[in-house]
Amino acid sequence: MKFIYQDLLNFLAEKPAKELLSEKLFQLGHEHEIDGDVFDMELTPNRGDCLSLNGLARDLNIFFGKAEPFKIFEGDIESLNLNFKNLSPDACPKISFLEIEIEGSINSYKSYLENYFSLLGNNKTNLFTDISNYVSYELGQPTHCFDANTINHQLIFENRNCDESFKTLLGSDIKLKDKNCIFLINNEIISLAGVMGGASTACSTNTKKALVECAYFTPEVIIGKSVKYNLTSDAAHKFERGVDIQAQEKVLRRFIEIVNDHAKIRSIKIQKFEETQAQQNSIPINVKKINKILGIDIEEKEYLSYLSKLDFGIEKEIVVPSHRHDISSQNDLAEEIARIIGYNNIESKPVEISKKTDEGFVNVKRLKNYLIKNGFSEVINFPFTKDKDNESISIDNPLDSNRSYLRISLKDSLIDNLLYNERRQKDSIKLFEISDLYSKNNNIKEEKRLGIIVSGRRGYNYLDFSKKLDHAYLSELLNQDSTNQAFDIEEISRTELKTKKKDRIFYIEIAIDKIPEHLLKEAESGLDQSNFIKYQPVSEFPSSIRDFSFSIKDFKQYDSVISLLSNLNDKNLRDSFIFDFYENKKLNEIKVGIRLIFQSNINTLSDDEIQNSVNRLLKPIIDLDSVSVPGLN
Amino acid sequence: MSTLDNIEPPLITEVKGSLHPINQVKDYLINMLAQMGFQEVDGPEIESEEFNFEMLNIKKSHPARQMHDTFYVENKSNVLRTHTSPVQIRSMLKSKPPLAFTSAGKVYRKDDDATHLPMFHQVEGIYVDENVTFANLKDLIHQILHNLFGKDVEIRFRPSYFPFTEPSAEVDILSENGKWLEILGCGIVNPLVLNNCNIDSEKYSGLAFGLGVERIAMLQYGVNDIRDFYKSNLDFLSQFK
Repeated sequence: MKFIYQDLLNFLAEKPAKELLSEKLFQLGHEHEIDGDVFDMELTPNRGDCLSLNGLARDLNIFFGKAEPFKIFEGDIESLNLNFKNLSPDACPKISFLEIEIEGSINSYKSYLENYFSLLGNNKTNLFTDISNYVSYELGQPTHCFDANTINHQLIFENRNCDESFKTLLGSDIKLKDKNCIFLINNEIISLAGVMGGASTACSTNTKKALVECAYFTPEVIIGKSVKYNLTSDAAHKFERGVDIQAQEKVLRRFIEIVNDHAKIRSIKIQKFEETQAQQNSIPINVKKINKILGIDIEEKEYLSYLSKLDFGIEKEIVVPSHRHDISSQNDLAEEIARIIGYNNIESKPVEISKKTDEGFVNVKRLKNYLIKNGFSEVINFPFTKDKDNESISIDNPLDSNRSYLRISLKDSLIDNLLYNERRQKDSIKLFEISDLYSKNNNIKEEKRLGIIVSGRRGYNYLDFSKKLDHAYLSELLNQDSTNQAFDIEEISRTELKTKKKDRIFYIEIAIDKIPEHLLKEAESGLDQSNFIKYQPVSEFPSSIRDFSFSIKDFKQYDSVISLLSNLNDKNLRDSFIFDFYENKKLNEIKVGIRLIFQSNINTLSDDEIQNSVNRLLKPIIDLDSVSVPGLN
Repeated sequence: MSTLDNIEPPLITEVKGSLHPINQVKDYLINMLAQMGFQEVDGPEIESEEFNFEMLNIKKSHPARQMHDTFYVENKSNVLRTHTSPVQIRSMLKSKPPLAFTSAGKVYRKDDDATHLPMFHQVEGIYVDENVTFANLKDLIHQILHNLFGKDVEIRFRPSYFPFTEPSAEVDILSENGKWLEILGCGIVNPLVLNNCNIDSEKYSGLAFGLGVERIAMLQYGVNDIRDFYKSNLDFLSQFK
């Protein structure tokens, strides 16, 4: 909901500056942003009563007092004799109709009405509809204007199952399904009640006589309808949150007054249909309870004074005003008091919770620790898949058809993760995921499982660089030998994977409760990190690899070479590691191979840029006596 | 004199993998709460509407229960839990006050855009005892946020609305650029929820709070795009060693 700062000031006795008004709105729980003179409110769903200037002013009364800035029509109004039948009084316990006819030309809009459209960016349509929208802005009660000449038979309201099309007043055709609140004439739907009127009975600039409908629809029958039919409806937004069932006459009288401001009125007639008397809610006065909930010490007099300023009636009990659908308990009243005092002004009081010694889910922590120590990275995947299995749980309302089921294995997700990293030039991949998986077999079954996938080099050190991650590696990881093959290690075929890589892929999936205790014992618990690193955005540009083999003839230089290689630093150098070490006793020479991986965060590095970095990095090493890189100029 | 015989091969440093950053933050929060006395509890991700909504005073008419907000499964027989609160409900049904539970894990909402994911993580806590007040809640929230963001962090409480707490609050911290950032939701447990769990709400009261793990992780690590956490990119994950 948006409002103009000056418009709200008109409803307040005092005229606070924007900053003070903003501060108090936040204190009351009314989040907002300010753009010039326009406040864009983000109200919580329980505060439908604040979706108007009048509603916000009621809440702000305690700070700034409330003014009654507008006039309502005070004269007598003839009774209307409308042929109307309410077939669903539970959905609409109270409804009023105003028939209003004007004559002559329409004056240009007064500044208050003109500003509503120009400053808030609303579109004008016709006098009656424009006034309807404006009254809703002022008082929070939506009304709907029919062109009275189109209501030529019995008007029926009903909340019933529908299977028919309906053209809205904005011209869109919607197919109504399931239960909807509708107005009908001659069995034809003319309005989706509480959401949007229809094209066939809409007012136009030529309309001289309007039938204004002003109703209370129970929130339950309106909720979800505008989203379901993809309609933007301020009326539905308000009805969903609850409007004031007692406000109808005041709203229609204000409507008349604004029409009167802009045109000559020929006739006005009004009729009210009330199926049940609205119940007044009341709550016992109990300031002790309020103090107990909040941890404060407020006097009863002060407490009642606060509530009184929020329009609560103070009688034998506290009477809840008809616009406050959100108040029914002492805790609700406590929140009212806390809002007025200000949450930030309530003093904190220490709380001592007696400690439990439970260590939590130690086995999972140990397992993760073990895998991480062995170079595995943990991944987390979404559980959705397009693949259906007899045991798959189906999602009734998936985001799309590719996410219609819950996965029953971690395998496909981990294969996707592996291929993704291979495409990013990774040649040693060790990933794991631990997740609850769900399947059905009469009942829903839950199991926490571990999935491990490996492919490529065993590692980047000179001992592991040429070895591959394989069945033997996973067996060793799981402490399996030829006599103990408790887990099935699966080789994943690359045939279906659309990849040119040749490295073999191995996978294993195990239920957590099947993990042998001896594996868990090896890893102590507690991976808990006590500080948070600041991460560097990942480059989207390709990396380039350069391998160099150093020949060291004078072994006195060996330590210097290793030290320099271990401390390489260049803005484009992403990673480096010694992948080869060889002592050639015949030639009395040591060979050290290093891989340099270059990557920039801002561009694809050119050969020249890489060469410049290489020269800079290697110079101090090849300047050492007897150290050379054969083949390097 | 250096000879081939006394050359030490290059040191093999153990290359560690990494715990997922979201789980690092989740574990950090759970450990912090455990230090305060909260016991970790676990529960299913596929939940009944009764536990996910009704026991928490989320009525049938609440927008969260619409098909466009919640994933329903197996012909609407169950839902993917939209928060970890049902875990606390299940735990409260099995316990008697005083009790203090924390639940953490994956939750699901029908949302998928640049700033919202259909799956994310929450850590929630609940404490029920005699005479638990809003003033106590404030103290606890201060402890949590001071632990996460330092003693000097500026904290703001705003009234908010959750069906399962009353009064309810959202809590913001003041960021370095002078803007308030929403960090968590909290409140006094609605007595209806205590009654639903067979706890005498006349005798006992409770406080509850919930944090979005991704949000805390983004702030702590400086990650700007929530989707980065779920690409399984080793260049990204390996930074969180």
